[in-house]
Amino acid sequence: METLINHDKPLLMHIDLNSCFATIEQQANPLLRGKPLVVAAYSTPNAFILAPSIEAKRIGIKMGMRVRDARLISSQVIVRTPDPPKYRDVHLKFKKIFESYSPDVTPKSIDEAIIDFHDVENLKPDLVRIAREIKSRMKTEIGEWIICSIGISTNMFLAKLGASLHKPDGLDVIDHTNLIATYKNTTLLDLCGINVRYQVRLNMGGIHTPLDFFHASCEHLEKRVFRSIVGRRWFEKLRGFEADQKDFPTKSIGQQYALKIPTDDPKALSPLIMKLCEKMGRRLRKKGLIAHGIHMWFSYRDHTSWHRGRLMNRDLYTTMELYRHAQLIFNSQPEMKAITHMGVSCYELTENNSMQMSMFEEDTSKARKVADAADELNDKYGEFTVVPGLMINMDNLILDRIAFGGVRDIEQFI
Amino acid sequence: MNERINEKVAVITIYQPYGGKVTPYKIRWNGRDYLITKTGYHHKVRSGRAVYHIFHVCTDTLAFRLRHDPDTLHWILEEVSDGNAD
Repeated sequence: METLINHDKPLLMHIDLNSCFATIEQQANPLLRGKPLVVAAYSTPNAFILAPSIEAKRIGIKMGMRVRDARLISSQVIVRTPDPPKYRDVHLKFKKIFESYSPDVTPKSIDEAIIDFHDVENLKPDLVRIAREIKSRMKTEIGEWIICSIGISTNMFLAKLGASLHKPDGLDVIDHTNLIATYKNTTLLDLCGINVRYQVRLNMGGIHTPLDFFHASCEHLEKRVFRSIVGRRWFEKLRGFEADQKDFPTKSIGQQYALKIPTDDPKALSPLIMKLCEKMGRRLRKKGLIAHGIHMWFSYRDHTSWHRGRLMNRDLYTTMELYRHAQLIFNSQPEMKAITHMGVSCYELTENNSMQMSMFEEDTSKARKVADAADELNDKYGEFTVVPGLMINMDNLILDRIAFGGVRDIEQFI
Repeated sequence: MNERINEKVAVITIYQPYGGKVTPYKIRWNGRDYLITKTGYHHKVRSGRAVYHIFHVCTDTLAFRLRHDPDTLHWILEEVSDGNAD
């Protein structure tokens, strides 16, 4: 078992759009091409960089850096704020290209997708030829500046590793013939799912390279290194067997916000919580779900944080229902301190087909009908046409953003 | 430099019957004509049921973001950029 490797034909393709947001900005504006460009959450010096262009990466600018630090590296760095509708449009266009090769396409994030060719295996697809064709079609059908890296393998983990080997514009196949050679030329941090903390855990188990990781026994990984079933999954993944789920059901829906000016003033914070609840409630209702739990977290200026979740014995559906319970959690903070970031999410989601009525509280059915009617008006006339009174004059607060990894709702926006 | 403008502008477009593409050809803004040399990207945005067409176009020295409202037929110049750092 220790030397077992999956000998199947590689039928999974991982496509990764290189420096996605920045590349799309350079596609839209040709005057930005060939220049160090970053897309940051805001254009202020403290804002975090979401995507540096390939040129910016070459001079040492990385994702997660602050705009101020990028400007110290190069005063010529161009800063742009995100344009989510444009990125969603590119995402849908590349998804359409992928779906012309296989019906089984799973977007992993705004800039990544997996094409599974198992359903069309009898057509004997030549994946390397298809990968080259996809690269060419992305240039002709989306834009000539759009480039992507493609990895082909027997499982999603190795396909992603293949896509990361020769960025930008790479194309690599990993199968039983070159698996060990690939591990020889990579580090533990190159493996998707291994961060610095996991690396330390592996080091403590005597694993210092991907090759050590590959040669470790299943028992060692399961009982000593990970101390859970996770060890077995890694053992299988490293050998090219599929151990990851392709898609996950929605378990929670959440929104978060970074405050421009940290504050502990409830009068300033309550409208923000309301807007987060309205955006969260819109997504919840659009998916036809109801929630039974609310969770909130706060990061404070003194670098501490606090969070609490509450499970309710009633259904939460309207923005007001969500807001009321979020406000209860907000009020139960042990200490009111200046907040820098906060988030709210709802969980324990069920289908909205049998809502439970409360015998002791006011009739909520009217409020729910009003929420549905307000949603219909917002669908017809644009987001935030009808809003709760607390949200008046908040148009430019809590802007439209794209979550990393979150593409389930993307077609709702188009 | 990237500047928000949000002004109505005069636009001459070219319609290509094969493929049904419309591309801006010339813009008149502040009394000056700008000949479009390239369309970088075109996409649609939705606001409720209203759909707007966004054209990212440029001349040799300036890039423009134009919004076309197919209901009113207005063209709005949303942003201008020279492609340099602020």
